[in-house]
Amino acid sequence: MVTTTGLELLDVTLLSLYVSGMATILGSAVGIPLGALIGLKEFGGKGAIKTITYTLYGFPPVLSGLFVYFLFSRSGPFGDFGILFTPTAMIIAETFLVIPLVTGITITSVVEVDKNIKETVRAMGASSRQSTLTVMREAWVGLLMACMVGFGRVIAEVGAAYLVGGNIDGKTRVLTTAIMLETRMGNFEWAMALGAVLLAVALCVFLFLRLLQEREML
Amino acid sequence: MRLDWKVALALVLVAALIVGAVGYVLLAGEKKVLVLATTTSTYDSGLLDYILPVFEDDFDCEIDVIAVGSGAAMELGKNGDVDMLLVHSPSAETAFVNDGYGEERNAVMYNNFIVVGSASDPADANHSANVTIAFEKIYDNGTVGDCQFLSRGDNSGTHAKELTIWKNLGLNVSNFDDWYVETGLGMGDLLDMCEEEDATTPSYTLSDDATYYQRLSENLIPHVQIVYNYQETDSLLKNQYSVIVLNETRFPHINHTLATEFKDWMISQEGQDLIASYEMYGQQLFYPNAAGYTPSTSSLKSQTSAFGSEERSVAGVSIPVAAGLKVELPLRCDRW
Amino acid sequence: MKPTIELREVTRRYGDVVAVRKVSLSAFPGQVLGIVGPSGAGKSTLLRLVDLLESPDEGKLLMEGEPVRVDSPKATEFRRRIGMVLQRPVALNRSVRNNLAYALRIRGIEEEEVFRRVDAELKRLGLADRSMKNAKTLSGGEMQRLCFARATVFDPDILLLDEFAANLDPSNVALLENQLKTFVSSGGNRTVVIVTHNLFQARRLCDAVALMWDGSVVEYADKKKFFENPDDSRTAEFVKGEIVY
Repeated sequence: MVTTTGLELLDVTLLSLYVSGMATILGSAVGIPLGALIGLKEFGGKGAIKTITYTLYGFPPVLSGLFVYFLFSRSGPFGDFGILFTPTAMIIAETFLVIPLVTGITITSVVEVDKNIKETVRAMGASSRQSTLTVMREAWVGLLMACMVGFGRVIAEVGAAYLVGGNIDGKTRVLTTAIMLETRMGNFEWAMALGAVLLAVALCVFLFLRLLQEREML
Repeated sequence: MRLDWKVALALVLVAALIVGAVGYVLLAGEKKVLVLATTTSTYDSGLLDYILPVFEDDFDCEIDVIAVGSGAAMELGKNGDVDMLLVHSPSAETAFVNDGYGEERNAVMYNNFIVVGSASDPADANHSANVTIAFEKIYDNGTVGDCQFLSRGDNSGTHAKELTIWKNLGLNVSNFDDWYVETGLGMGDLLDMCEEEDATTPSYTLSDDATYYQRLSENLIPHVQIVYNYQETDSLLKNQYSVIVLNETRFPHINHTLATEFKDWMISQEGQDLIASYEMYGQQLFYPNAAGYTPSTSSLKSQTSAFGSEERSVAGVSIPVAAGLKVELPLRCDRW
Repeated sequence: MKPTIELREVTRRYGDVVAVRKVSLSAFPGQVLGIVGPSGAGKSTLLRLVDLLESPDEGKLLMEGEPVRVDSPKATEFRRRIGMVLQRPVALNRSVRNNLAYALRIRGIEEEEVFRRVDAELKRLGLADRSMKNAKTLSGGEMQRLCFARATVFDPDILLLDEFAANLDPSNVALLENQLKTFVSSGGNRTVVIVTHNLFQARRLCDAVALMWDGSVVEYADKKKFFENPDDSRTAEFVKGEIVY
């Protein structure tokens, strides 16, 4: 017995894009400024912060899901918001996974920017803030890469999405949780087909971003 | 600020996502929603996809089903994250109600556990008077290394049932050797594993019949066969499903009215008949047994099979019930 | 006349190496000061100190008679009045036009005014036809012209040039030096400091010259004296090209 049909496939795909897309945007909104700050400013404990960031690359998605579950369960501190088993909870859980990745890659990217640029900009009279923004702009290829990697991580994860979303048909079912369901039920061909759709979606997204990258590198 | 095309594109994307979010929220908000936690085996049988739309239509609502492991479903209930449970772990359910999380257990339906395993059946579990004896034979056989037993190991209803049988023999599974394999897998996955293991070691496991038939119909487990099937007198193998509405006093936020309506519907004549009419793989998978239920004549099933038929007693009325398979596979079930 | 820039007994170390050793030097408004010397003498470091990019370990730096600390907001203020061309000029990863515009934008000048000045400057330097191209695609000579334009487009009071027009063919060198002369003579009593190892260039462009040797300033005199009748023997030898370094 197969549980997903054509229209449901569209639903599931769009929800995947929505949840992972939002998580990537929110996570990058936090991660890019944070990474630029860590990369460009000097402060005590900088090395430790960087190590922690890179360690969090390996943070298990299901653990993020568990953490969000505890926060938003009815018996938890934020239970009254009632966002458990909604896409919002999934977005929150996935955002936690995006942040360390985007931060870490941003750090590397801004540090890699030619020292001469940083000097030139400063010599031109840029304030500290202007200087940081300019360096970030110079590193934009790397920053875009950071977002892409972040997106790649969350579009493919299933642990958090399943735990805090509940895989509810029509509401919180995404490509990865649908694959898990079909696999569990032994519909292996369907599961593979869904997997192919997921890869195709990812391909389209990354192709588009690659085109953006290419055009800049004249 | 210069608005070059890249910035414009980024803004368009963000705007699209925001519109999507708002639209989603607006479109979703209208109907009353009931959140039901159930087990993966229940969900995977497809019963809910069959009966829920009827209720949703009649009562103009939506039922969100969260299918997780039995233990997880109970936890969701204890945390008040759902409105009601549909599970099949009687002892855990009793504790759940006694501890004040749920109102009461309402029997809804049952199906059966079966012992499945390799066709070679080295323990000769097939010729057993009851399932306890079958297990004893498997134990004897396993301890000398001629077979193995695969366990769910995950606090599910099936796992609880399995442990009860071992307990009846006065055996403690923590003392078992390597012939007893604790996996932590779901039922379907465990049957798949049984199939794989069959190539090297004859393996047995306890399964519910719905998952077994489903796997069989997909031709995934050709080497796994029913070695011991339920007997009319063998109440141990009865897999009883109950529906529990969460305690309104303890969880004031739940949709208590709708949950009660759904519970009442499930144990009503209409709901019970509907459950009885659900068929997959040529079989009725669930037998309604709510208190006071008598099947209406229109729901009688009289399928015969190559293996004959067997009578089952439900609330004192006998109905002929199909007990074989439409799939053409040789089942070594001498019981018939 | 008060010096625009004054260094008093300034020392700068990098670990064990002393790059600048108790240097006292002044640059005056309307003057082009040249700093010459062998490689590794500390010339570039000195210029960086003057541009307030680094702090001296000892000694004082005064701008228009006021002591300035590198991290203070006053330093940022002064830096906005200083144009600097680094030894290895780099452009931002954007069009030539936007590279120039950047210098004006960070000073808060309005868009219309920005592009008016930028386009005029590009025309003057013969870069108008490259204005929309990515600056990274420019040739060596064009890049130096761009960086010079970038340092002067906002009309700085002080201009600092590290190895000005170095490694360029004669026609490019001539072009740039003419630009510099135009800049100096365009009024405003500007102060220019050039670091160079090219003696001919120093003679062509500077009013006063200082010789740096192993971190110290060993000679500081007006052009005539420096080249014809220096105090220090090393200067005499350096000028004659007899020192091989």
